[in-house]
Formats: sequence, C-alpha cells, structure tokens
Amino acid sequence: MGRPGTQGGTLSALEAAAVAFGVATLAGAAWLPPKATRVSGASFGGLIAFALARLAWGVPVGALASVTFALVLFRFAPGAVLRRVTFLVPSLLLLVFVTTLLMYHAPGSPFAGEKVASPQVEAALRAHFGVPKSAVDFFGIYLRRLVVEGSLGPSVKVQGRNVETLLRPALPVSLTLGLLALVLASAVGLWLGIVAGLKPNSAADYASTGLSAIGLSLPSFVLGAIGIVLFALKLGWLPVAGWGDLRHIVLPAVTLALPHAAYIARLARGGTIEVMSQDFIRTARAKGLPESAVVLRHALKGAILPVVSYLGPAAAGIMTGSFVVETLFGIPGMGQWFVRGAINRDYSVVLGTALVYASLVTAFNLLVDLAYAWLDPRVRSRS
Amino acid sequence: MYRTLLGILSVFGAALLLVALTFSKTLEAPADLRLANGTEPKSLDPELTTGEPEHVLASALFEGLTRIDGKTGKPVAGVAERWDISADGTVYTFHLRDDARWSDGRPVTADDFVYAWKRLLEPAVGAEYAYMLFPVALAEAYNTFAGHAETLEKQLMPAVTALATQSPLDARSWQDFLRRNKANDPLRPVDDDVLGELLARRTGTLTASDLATFRARLEHARAWLRDESVRARAHFGVDHGVIAKDARTLVVELRAPTPYFLQVLAHNSSMPVPRWALAAHGDRWFLPGNIVSNGPFRLANWIVNDHIRLEKSPTYWGKSEVRLERVDMLSNENQMTILNLYLTGALDCTNRYFPQELAPELKKRRDFEQAPGLVVYFYRLNTTRKPLDDKRVRKAINLAIDRELITKSVLGLGQAPAYTFVPPGLPAYTAPATAIRHDPDEARRLLAEAGYPGGKGFPRVGILYNTMEDHKRLAEVVSDQLRRTLGIEVTPYNQEWQSYLEAERALNYDIARAGWNADYADPNTFLEMFVTNGANNQTGFSSELYDRLIRLASDVSLLARDPDPTLAKLREPEPIRALLAATQSGSPTDREHARERLRLLLLREAESILVEDEFPIVPIYFYVNGTLTQPRVHGYSMRVLLDDGSFGPNLQDTHPLRDVWVDPAHKGEP
Repeated sequence: MGRPGTQGGTLSALEAAAVAFGVATLAGAAWLPPKATRVSGASFGGLIAFALARLAWGVPVGALASVTFALVLFRFAPGAVLRRVTFLVPSLLLLVFVTTLLMYHAPGSPFAGEKVASPQVEAALRAHFGVPKSAVDFFGIYLRRLVVEGSLGPSVKVQGRNVETLLRPALPVSLTLGLLALVLASAVGLWLGIVAGLKPNSAADYASTGLSAIGLSLPSFVLGAIGIVLFALKLGWLPVAGWGDLRHIVLPAVTLALPHAAYIARLARGGTIEVMSQDFIRTARAKGLPESAVVLRHALKGAILPVVSYLGPAAAGIMTGSFVVETLFGIPGMGQWFVRGAINRDYSVVLGTALVYASLVTAFNLLVDLAYAWLDPRVRSRS
Repeated sequence: MYRTLLGILSVFGAALLLVALTFSKTLEAPADLRLANGTEPKSLDPELTTGEPEHVLASALFEGLTRIDGKTGKPVAGVAERWDISADGTVYTFHLRDDARWSDGRPVTADDFVYAWKRLLEPAVGAEYAYMLFPVALAEAYNTFAGHAETLEKQLMPAVTALATQSPLDARSWQDFLRRNKANDPLRPVDDDVLGELLARRTGTLTASDLATFRARLEHARAWLRDESVRARAHFGVDHGVIAKDARTLVVELRAPTPYFLQVLAHNSSMPVPRWALAAHGDRWFLPGNIVSNGPFRLANWIVNDHIRLEKSPTYWGKSEVRLERVDMLSNENQMTILNLYLTGALDCTNRYFPQELAPELKKRRDFEQAPGLVVYFYRLNTTRKPLDDKRVRKAINLAIDRELITKSVLGLGQAPAYTFVPPGLPAYTAPATAIRHDPDEARRLLAEAGYPGGKGFPRVGILYNTMEDHKRLAEVVSDQLRRTLGIEVTPYNQEWQSYLEAERALNYDIARAGWNADYADPNTFLEMFVTNGANNQTGFSSELYDRLIRLASDVSLLARDPDPTLAKLREPEPIRALLAATQSGSPTDREHARERLRLLLLREAESILVEDEFPIVPIYFYVNGTLTQPRVHGYSMRVLLDDGSFGPNLQDTHPLRDVWVDPAHKGEP
C-alpha cells in the first residue's frame, strides 16, 4: 500500500544493488581457499577485538591488544573457527544494512509524534541526530560512527544518551536473569526428560510429558500472572515487580525458564529413548555395568546432544531478555529495547539491539559446535 | 562423569556470582513517596519535551515565572514574586525573587529567562512546544518566519509556476493543489486580502492571470516574512518581546491580550534553563551529575526503564514549604504491574496508569478518586474522500451513534458523552448549540437524502485506530451501531502507533480514532487545530469563516476594523456586536472583560461550525481521570479549591509534588 509522504515505497536501484552485493560477498566467502580463510578470519577477529578493547582501554592499548589477538588467532585457532569469523563481519554488515532498509521502508519516522512538527523542526532534528531521509546515507553515517567513534549512535527517544550507554546497564540485567533461567531450565528439563525417556509409557513418562505440554502451551504472561497472584498477592512471599534485591529475581527467572524447561524435557526424552536402543548400550549392559553407570557414563552424553544444539540459539534469545517478562515484572533489561526501538522507530536502538543479538547468536553457535565436538566422537573425527 | 558435574557446578557458580555482582550496588534510602509515572521519559530538558511523564518531572525539577498551585490548580507566583500588567493587558512586568537560586547556588536572573525563551524559539533547536510562547510579540516571527519564507521560495512558488501551464484551473483541483502543497501553513501569518481570497476560492475557475497574481502576492509575502524574521532576530530578547530590564526585572510584551498567559508561564516549555550547564555538557546537560535545576526538587538518580529518584533541593527559595525529602518516579508502562505494585504497598499512587478495564471494580474502592479531564475522544472523518465528503453523510454518522450507551456500558468510569468538541468545565466558556444527538430516524433520512437510502450503494468504510484494547472495543461498538442504524458496511482495523499517525497525516483513512489533551485550560487549544491545512487538522476540513474566527480570537482588535462582513455570517451576531462596542468604551477593566468575553464568543462560533454545520469530526466522549492513592498521601487530589470556597474537578490532572506530603503517623495498608 503506497502512502504519500512516507519514506517507504519500493527499493531504489542503489539499495537493491547493495543488498545483492552483500549476499554475493557472503556466498563468495564460502569458496575462499583455507589459507585465505585463515588470514581473513584472523584479521576480522582482530577487528572485533579492537572494537571491544577500545571501549575498555582506549585506542592505543586496544590496537596493540587486537593485533596480538589477531596474530594468536592466525597461528593457533582451528580452521573451523576462523572460517566462522570470516563470515561474521560481512554478515553483520549485511544485517545492519537490511535492518536499515526495513526500518526506512516501514511507515513513520523517529520524529513523528502526535503533534505534527514543522518541516524546519524536523530538518533540525534529523541533522542533530544524524538520521537523513535516505537509508543509504544513514547506513554511511552509522558505519562511520561505529568505526571511527566506536559508538552505536544516539537514541532519539531517550535523549542525551548513546545506544551503548543504554544497553550497557541493561545487558548484565538480562544476562543474569537469562543465565539463571537457562540453568534452571536445563536442570529441570533434563531431569524430567531423562526420567521420562528411561521408562517410556510409564506413569512417570506421562506425568513428565503432561507437565511439559502445560509448560509449552501456557504463554509467559499467563504463567507470570499466575505466579504473581499466588506468590506475591495471596501469599506475600515475593515482590510483585521491580529490580533491586535477590527476591526480585525469583518469579521472573521461573517464568522465563518454564517454557524452555518444557522444550528441553521433550528433546531429552527423545534423545534418551534413541540412545537407550543403541548397540553400545546393550554392550555396556552385557558387560555387567550397573544401570546407573550405563545411564550416567554412556547414555547421558548422547541424550543431551539434541538439547545442546537447542541451547545455543535459546541462550542467545533468553539472555537478550524477554519483553513480556520484563514489562510484567518491571525489569530494566534488554528485552524492552527490542520492542521500544521498533515501536518508536528509534533506528539506532533497533540496530544496536540487533547487533548485540546477532553477536550473541554467533558466539553461542560457536560454543555449541565446540561442545558437540567434545560430546560426540563422530563429530570430532569428521573435522 | 565428575568432569561433567564439575562443569555444571561451575556454570551454576558463575550464574550466582553474576547475580551477586548485579545486586552489589549500594542501595538507596527508601523514598517518602513512590509514584507511577508512565513511560520512560525522553529527556528532562523542560523546553524540548512534550510528553506527560516529562511534564511531571520538569515541574518538580524546574520552576517558571509562575507555577501551578496544588490546592487551587491556578497559576501562582513562582520565580516571579509579583507582576504588574498594563491597562491594555499586553505588557507584563515580572519582579523576580531575590532568593530564587539554581541548584548550584547561582541566582536565577531575568537573563536566564531571555536565554531560555530564545532557545525555545530558535528554529535549529527544534522545540515542538515553541508555539506555547507565540502570544509573546515577535516570538512567532523569530521561530517560524524564516522557515515559511524558505518553504514559499523553494516549494510553493516553483509549484505555482509549474501549475500555471494548466490554467484555467477549476476550483476543486486548485484546492487539491493547495492541500497537497500545504499552502496555508506558511501563509497563515500573512495579512493579505487578495491572497486570502485566492486561497479561499472554492467555486468557479482560476485563470492564468489569477495564478500570476497569486504568484506575485507570494513573492510579496515571502519578502515580508523574511523581513519580519530579520527584525525579530534583531530585536527579540533585546528591546522587544521579552526584555531583561535588570537581573530581577523581566518585561514581556504580548501581541494581544492573552488571558491564559500566566498559565503558559507555568508550563514546562517556558521554564528557565542553565546556560552554563548547556555550554559545558551539550545535549547531555540534564543527565545525573550534569544537571542544574531551579525547582523544588533536584535529580538524585536515574535508572533507565526503572525509576528516577528526586530529592528536595536545598537551594529552592520555598524549601520550607516542600515536605517530601525523596520521591521515586517509576517508569513502567504495564498498567497491571502498576496496579499490583500499588496493591502490595510498593507504590503510593497509580496516577492515571491503572488498567482501564478494571475501572468499574476499582471505582468501588475508598482510595480511588476521579474527576473529569480536559480531554476529548473523537473520530476524525476524512472529508476529502467519497462518501464522507458529503456533510449530510457526516451528520448522519454523528446522529447514528448512541453515546450514552458507550459511556454507560462500554467505558463505565463516568465519562460524559460528547455532543460538542471542547470539554466542559473551562471557566466562562459555554458550549454552543449542537446538532449532534442520538437520532437514528433523522440519520437514516439524511443518508437517503445523500443518495444512499437504507445504506444502498454506500461503499464499505473503515475505522482506523491505533492498536490498543480500549480503542478496539469502542471501534467495534461504533461500527456495530452504524451498521444497524444506517445499514452501511463499516470495518474497524488497527495499525501500530507510527503507521497510524502516518495514515492520519496523509489522509489515508475514512474514519480515524483520535484524542486531544489540553495544553492549557482554554478552548483555543482544542479549536485552533481545525484551521485549514493546520498540521493537526488531518481531516481535510476547510472553512474560510472558521479560519477567520480563530484568527480574530487570537487578536479581537482585528474585528473592530471591519466587523460587518464577519458579523453577517455568524449564528448569534448580536451579543458579539454589543461586546465589540463595550471593548471601545468604559473603564480599562471593563474593556478587558469585554475583550475576553468577545474572544470566547468568537471561539464558540467557531466550535458551532464543527458541530452544527460541517461535522468533520465525531465527538464521542470526554475523559475522566482517576487515580488510586494511599490514604497516607496528602495533597494529591483530583479536586481543587475554587474561588468561592467549594471544590471543583482537577481538570488538568496536575499534582505539583511541591504541595504533596505524607502523613508519617498513617502506617499500613489502605
């Protein structure tokens, strides 16, 4: 639907060409010879290290540290890791560009409010915040700011602050809550799943699958609300909302953990059933090992493989916060910025959160790959 | 196996360590008062903010020449301890307090106000509330004229040149052209009869010579705007408009007498700002550690998306009257969370941020208080689209809606059905007669007269609303009523906030939900929005008489020049003619009273065009504001003390924190 006066409309030729170029670069990286991958991987790794180190220690020390880091990477890092890092920088650039395009083609702008600003006021604001009318120009300004100043740009809706100063206090809050929820979800989920998987179709199995069906189908705002009514309003054990002491973390962590626990339980149950029917388990039993040793030493590793591949992206998602849980419990975390940035068309906030999320997804996927190699001998021999 | 266990344990340990680290920050002393304050504030710069949460914070941190008194809701002495007003009501001389201090100990001077006002009006600063000071002489010229001149030169004049090739032009395409190019906006300040006649041309054709005249007058207008802007920049703040006579005397010259001017001065847009802090910290000057303020409170802490901590300012001139030591303003948009916090005693006041759908239940509580507010909920009708371009259709829609049913069964907080546009309760303003009522038979008759008997042949229309449960329910009820009464197909549909704003602005809708909140307690804030092509008009509605009435109301002396052509078109010209005579004789006080009554009558005539003749809108209801407040909190009331000693509604829902106090003896839950 064409709306006169919006920034939207169809892609311009320049924008389309830039997207095509980005995709082609990414695809091309797959054909790089191993030697070139080592060089590009190490230099991109150094670049990322510089971006982070500059914030912590300043430019000279950061540069020195990142060069050292790049050399270490080049010399010692496994090829698979360097290959991944090679993909990382172009994919992040493409992510920023495509996100910028999407934002610019959505109706509205960061400067549209209920009261209409005059064209002069809007022009002044656009110049001040570095948000020109063209998406390509914005991309240029954003990249320059990112590379030259190491800044994620100013927020338009929370003024006087750069996006990194907004996200810096929010990220540890979400990481804390997310990590706790993740540990909780894994512990509960694995236990329920393995117990169920060891005796399929038993009463314990039905109880466990029943519980996980409930956990999966209840949305978190319902779960959270039940928790609040029960433990905060009726019993008065826990506070309804807020962030400040340890009691505040219990309800949101449980709310956040339950759906994941339910999913993990299903995966672990399936994994366990599959592993327990394998030949090597029969062998272990045949050589007279006690059942506990069979399960703990031989079955467990195989049973948690599907869970591990789920945990990578889940960890990135859970640790960047949940909008629903955060607003329900009044927690100053990351999740709010994802939604607020988009609703307010606060372009720098949208890009900043997207970058943080993408980096976490990449990092956790790398960790998952490493964990796979450690857990599964078949993967190890392949690489 | 032990390795796996060890791994799990260390992850767990790391998680706990992180938790401990996050919470290891020093805890704040408990606040005396904790208030819900809606969404996270955008900024604490009093001149640049527009939202309600920011307004509440700015009023606590800063103080203007006047301030709103918590008991009466009226402007009283703030930084200015007294003022003299000239006999004709256009020159205010403010005498500043000798003990008014910034939080860093500097005195608050007249120069601080001159600096702040010039900053507010500086086009490059981009302050959205700059228009609040337009009653001040030269202020509008300072803020907008250079931009208007540029718009004329770069956009309108080339467009007119291009249009000249298509002449002669019929009046309808001409009006379309004017609307597309937003021609009226930059020309509104220009007083040119020839231009006015051409802009208002709605019948006949425009010849090539008309267009040539138009272009010549545009050139003339552009030169005038540019000259005025140059004059304003040279004189405003120096010897005209606002003048600092000495450190403690500020003279303000108004364009025309403005009865609500003392209210404007209490608004955050006209508060002073510390120029040295702005110079030192740029657009970060209002962050903790940088901010310097002059109000009853100062900023102690700001945790984004959590809360803002205010503490009593030791340098405030009236500190002996401030009874709260520490106040927490919670930033949370979740109304259910706010209610829960209140119910467990973690919050002292929900403000207006409680879940509206629970209103009927909450209304029964003793700690719930409510009052009508200066807010109107209405639907815009797109007068540029068929079939809504026919005013009989617009009237039929207005008559088909049962507002009583909506306020009683759908809303339930005691909202008043709206048959006019300006909310009731404004002093001295009486609503005009209105043709809007619930009359299904007449509605059907009008629709048939417009060519759609029983709704036959009527195209399907949509009701656009921004995504929100309350708006959805209402849109469904209204569409149902229109469907049943008129037999027409009406589809409610929602868009998220930004898309909705964009659609409304681009007139890309049939019927759209809207609300309007008073910036100051005067009908002008509601009525001025519907001037032709006004930025907030957004209905395509355009009436030459309406525009003229709004303009005359802003300066009633203009009417005296040539009253008859205007009076001839009015509904009730006689009282206006009498008042016009009264403004020219009698004592200065009598004249001023006559001018003020004349102004309100002109605005009333303008409103009657909306609700008697043209119906570009469907007023639906007038808001009720409510709050849950713990009984230990005093001075946070929905009622204000009136002049005659009785109590009236707190129309603007303002609760200056300076006048709020907490009874320490009253402990425990409500």
